[in-house]
Amino acid sequence: MMKLNPAATITEEFAERIKSENRSARMMKLAPLMVLIGMIIVFTIICRTQFFSPSNLLTILNQMALPLVVALGLTFVIMLGSIDLSIDGTVGMAGSLFACFVLNTEFGFNLGFFSVVIAVGVCMLCGLAIGLCHVYLKIPSFMASFAFMYICKGIGMISYQGHPPTITDPVIKALPTTYWLGVPFITWVSLLMFVLCLFIQNYTAFGRHIYAVGTNESIPRSVGVSVEKVKIGVFVLAGFLFGVAGIIGAIRLGQGQIAIGSGKMFPAQAAVVVGGTSLAGGKGGVVNTIVGVLIMTVLDNGLLILGVDPNIRTGVQGIIILVAVILTVARGAKVISK
Amino acid sequence: MKKRKLIASILAASMLVGLLAGCADNSSGGNETPSGGGETTPVEESQEPSGGETVDWANFTIDPAQIPQEKLDTTLYLAVSVRGLENPYIATINDGMHLFAEYLDSIGQKYEMQVLDSQGDSAKEVDNMRQFAAKANGNAIAYADPNEDTIAYSLAEAMAESGGFLGTAWNKPADVGPADLTPNWVIHTSPDNVVNGYNIAKALFESMGGSGKIFVVEGLLGNTANNNRVAGLEKALEEYPDIEVVAQDTGNWNTDEALTLVETWLTQYPDVGGIWCANDNMVTGAMQALDAAGLLGQVGVCGVDANTDVVAAIAEGNATATVSSNGYLQGGYTLAICYAAWTGLLDVEALPAEYREFATPTVLIDSPEAAKEWQAYEPDFDFSRPFDCRVAD
Repeated sequence: MMKLNPAATITEEFAERIKSENRSARMMKLAPLMVLIGMIIVFTIICRTQFFSPSNLLTILNQMALPLVVALGLTFVIMLGSIDLSIDGTVGMAGSLFACFVLNTEFGFNLGFFSVVIAVGVCMLCGLAIGLCHVYLKIPSFMASFAFMYICKGIGMISYQGHPPTITDPVIKALPTTYWLGVPFITWVSLLMFVLCLFIQNYTAFGRHIYAVGTNESIPRSVGVSVEKVKIGVFVLAGFLFGVAGIIGAIRLGQGQIAIGSGKMFPAQAAVVVGGTSLAGGKGGVVNTIVGVLIMTVLDNGLLILGVDPNIRTGVQGIIILVAVILTVARGAKVISK
Repeated sequence: MKKRKLIASILAASMLVGLLAGCADNSSGGNETPSGGGETTPVEESQEPSGGETVDWANFTIDPAQIPQEKLDTTLYLAVSVRGLENPYIATINDGMHLFAEYLDSIGQKYEMQVLDSQGDSAKEVDNMRQFAAKANGNAIAYADPNEDTIAYSLAEAMAESGGFLGTAWNKPADVGPADLTPNWVIHTSPDNVVNGYNIAKALFESMGGSGKIFVVEGLLGNTANNNRVAGLEKALEEYPDIEVVAQDTGNWNTDEALTLVETWLTQYPDVGGIWCANDNMVTGAMQALDAAGLLGQVGVCGVDANTDVVAAIAEGNATATVSSNGYLQGGYTLAICYAAWTGLLDVEALPAEYREFATPTVLIDSPEAAKEWQAYEPDFDFSRPFDCRVAD
């Protein structure tokens, strides 16, 4: 791995090792950004103006909103070293409930903003339930959240019973075409969520506890931090963000459907990991995630503009994701990540 | 610590098993045992119309007076086996079963009904069918939309094992069919998807004045319905040489993915004239992308399924065309034919091949007037004439 001076004392050797590790850690921190920039350069060269046209940049901003919010929620869960598989269900449920309770073609409710509260509230309750099952019933987060994916899908399906409500509220209908400073409204919402998460991560005790719990549970426990509360809090926060993502999805589609959530989980996982957050927990954060989400969105968009044959696009996408992960994931020689 | 891990993993495993069992066993809803259902083996009791070759199958009628009272008193289990009720089209198949159930009420047949939801999992669909058929002990009739071609036979076999009657729709391999499992696999029907794909394409091209650029949003690649609809599109493209396909990809039947595709393509080809989608869920996504680009109503969009929101958009002039496969009719009539077989009134063995595999009618909705007419449509079927659902050759 590295050459050590055989004459060095143990102290010197240790200091050198730390230094080199710090150096490689700094490199690794920048790797995702490098991958993103590299990808943008490649697509710009191949597609020329089409990729960098203002309308396409706007499209990318539109397309990154929902994945970003989902990935933010997942980031905290992954930082704990846990996993949340409920995404497909919770996001779809939030979108469906939201569309059911605003002015729409199928149901008579017209609760306006209150429907946001309902949709997000139900998602937070689901997050709370996942957290409780995980912490107190000692069910692995993997299983608890997996079960809740089905539960939430079920709630979403019951909510509209096969007749998806099309949103008719004029204010909400206008949101996909609402811009502020040239940036779409839903992207502003996702950026607001990003700032909120960044604040929680960096400036609150809760945020630092997440890192601590993710690194080694017994340390925060020994200093009197309630590991249980931190874990449950993270799942509730994730539920909140999945709820917001579902509403963004419903606004974008103009319709409530359980399908808003389908296929959102693994791209979100990939975005978080490509961004450099370790699946083992304790490392990474929301800044990594925004880069990861951009990588995934740009990749999707670029391949589409290139007009790659749909039969091979999926495969190509997989290979590029794999390469990105290889380039960005910090690998210690000692531990194979879980 | 190790012990704990062991317990945790056992717990996880048992949860998984429980979950899977729970999902597969959604047939446990009605645990009422069929009253005296065991001894009735309907297969052997083939009755009346089997006589001569001059049977007028098109006008075959279910005469409630000829149904033995013991049949009427036996609890008949009805089911539709589908991919998931979240899809509006599939919901209409379930509605069709309810319409047929009303008919059963009217003739005094005892029954229970349920939806077998495969959630897009082929193995699960076969398991569901087997459990359902076993529970009903021969007194079962079902409509199945096989998740994939290949499982059509397995589904029929699952039903045949316990003597129930099945009608399939849409997907099956070309070389197997109801004739391979007489009498339990009663019929296989399908709307003609090549014609559907062709008709909507033609309506779209006509609305564009016969020339211009189009986007093509396909469904799941390799899926029979998608392949056939695209074949229909290609046939229409041959007839309209001035139509140019500038972008083609799959939206996987999904609104969200179609939105992303069209949104991205519009940045490249803002001068597009029309968008052909393989189903209406994707039309919804395409329209949303057009709306965001300020092009809604100026660019034609077409799809298949006649989703409520797409029909409304056609009525308002924001979409061009869609086709209804009439899920009410598919679900209701398939069960009606299977019912006739179960009661013994219909002798499946004597039924000619063209009545075992046939096309069901579709409705092309390609103008605001047609859309308004379809919006006012109230399915009203006479299930006593089950072969009314067959398109004559």
